[in-house]
Amino acid sequence: MIRTQTYYLLLMAILLTSCRTLNIAGYYHRHGQSLDSMETTFRTAYQEKPFSIQFTSRSFNRVSLELITDTLTYIYEYQVGEPRLQDTLKKFGYDTTAINYLIRVMQTSECTWIDNLDYYTDTARHSVVYISLWPRRFNFAFVNKKYYILTYFQRPQYFDSEGRLLVGRRLRHIRKINGDVYHRINDRVCYTISDRFR
Amino acid sequence: MPRNSLLLVLSLLIIRPSLARTTGDPPASNRAQALELLDHTVLPDTSAFWPNVRLPLFIANLKVNLNFPQKIYQGVNTNFCGYAALSYLPLNFDPLAYTRFMLALYKDGEASWNGIHFRPSSEIHQAAGTLRFKGILDIRPADQIWFLVLADHFRSYLNFFNRRFHPGSEDTFWAAVSYGKFNRMIRQLFGYKVTSKGSDLIRPHFDDLYDYLRTNLGSPGTTYLYVNNTYLHKKNHNKFKGSFPTHFIVLDDIRRIPGEEDRVDIIYWDYGGRTLRQVSLRFLKKILFGVTHCTHP
Repeated sequence: MIRTQTYYLLLMAILLTSCRTLNIAGYYHRHGQSLDSMETTFRTAYQEKPFSIQFTSRSFNRVSLELITDTLTYIYEYQVGEPRLQDTLKKFGYDTTAINYLIRVMQTSECTWIDNLDYYTDTARHSVVYISLWPRRFNFAFVNKKYYILTYFQRPQYFDSEGRLLVGRRLRHIRKINGDVYHRINDRVCYTISDRFR
Repeated sequence: MPRNSLLLVLSLLIIRPSLARTTGDPPASNRAQALELLDHTVLPDTSAFWPNVRLPLFIANLKVNLNFPQKIYQGVNTNFCGYAALSYLPLNFDPLAYTRFMLALYKDGEASWNGIHFRPSSEIHQAAGTLRFKGILDIRPADQIWFLVLADHFRSYLNFFNRRFHPGSEDTFWAAVSYGKFNRMIRQLFGYKVTSKGSDLIRPHFDDLYDYLRTNLGSPGTTYLYVNNTYLHKKNHNKFKGSFPTHFIVLDDIRRIPGEEDRVDIIYWDYGGRTLRQVSLRFLKKILFGVTHCTHP
């Protein structure tokens, strides 16, 4: 009898935790400083030479770099700390301090991807820094993964009464970025929960 | 049937090819001829057929395509990758025919290419110029017309349940391209000789994949790969991934990495640019569902 109850409790615990979602706005307010710093560092380094960083494994010890040049995008994957990584960054002329800092902060913040995405308002091009978080807790093999995505805009955005991101002040349609609807954290930062990290 | 299961079954039938290498194919026309035609053609400021297409953006889009043919981009989260990969051929080897076709479409609302007449439905006429949140495709109305017209005309079993265009159809099976359809479009539209190995469901067997691809790249023509993009362009970390092809790329080069028997550098075109990536041949075999080689007639 006790054993049966234990099994039930265990099953309930698994189901409850697998359905539980992270309060992303709360997460942002707790880790805002390091996330904001990650955004600023990335935006500055990206303007010098474009790139993106992706952690490819659950243990956050394999990192993939997309190094974007005029003619080719190079995709290389490394173990974190591998000397080849530094050699590659130097060879392509990247800011090693900034990228090493980003890798370190991404690892500790459980951030799986950081990139710059373009979006358009009428014909004007804007960019947004796109940060995908993949918190280590609540990860089960049989449950599809969920990612918590933060987008950093360069200027304040417009939102509807439910806090959903709008195209603009006059064009009051809901804006989608990478196919998802975003919600307000503050004037410049939005979030969504998605089944894909990019 | 749950939506995911339905999508999975339908996805098993989808094929999208990858970018191809283009060696030795003599161009049928050149960029200068195409730009001259564009500069000397008088177009109405607004088109009765394409009410949402703005002429300055349309012309700017055609010029970008002619000057930078590798920049053509299918848009974020659309299923236009087959059509984008296909565009590689006319933009590189017959830009004049492409420009003539696009100008005729703009002026008359319909046009012919290689004996195939395209008469888009009224939904397509209305939709072109309105696709939004697709990245740079938002401001490329000529590409929107091109992709929508191709998808509206060429159909296959993958499009069976999505016969007519509705807003948002560009992200659905309405725009999907099977392997057979992809090869057929190249053959019929551009008159290319097409040799292919593969299918939508079963991976082809290669005794020596590296040798096979090198041989293709060494002969005149363009080589497309039909691949499972959930591995090549990973978007999640789910343990269970569908084992079916979803993407077309153009293979530009493949070379062994010195000292590593199983690893190769591949250079390919997709998403509006060329990429160099190190992969193992085992990985390449796992994701590869078709190899198409096209040669100019």
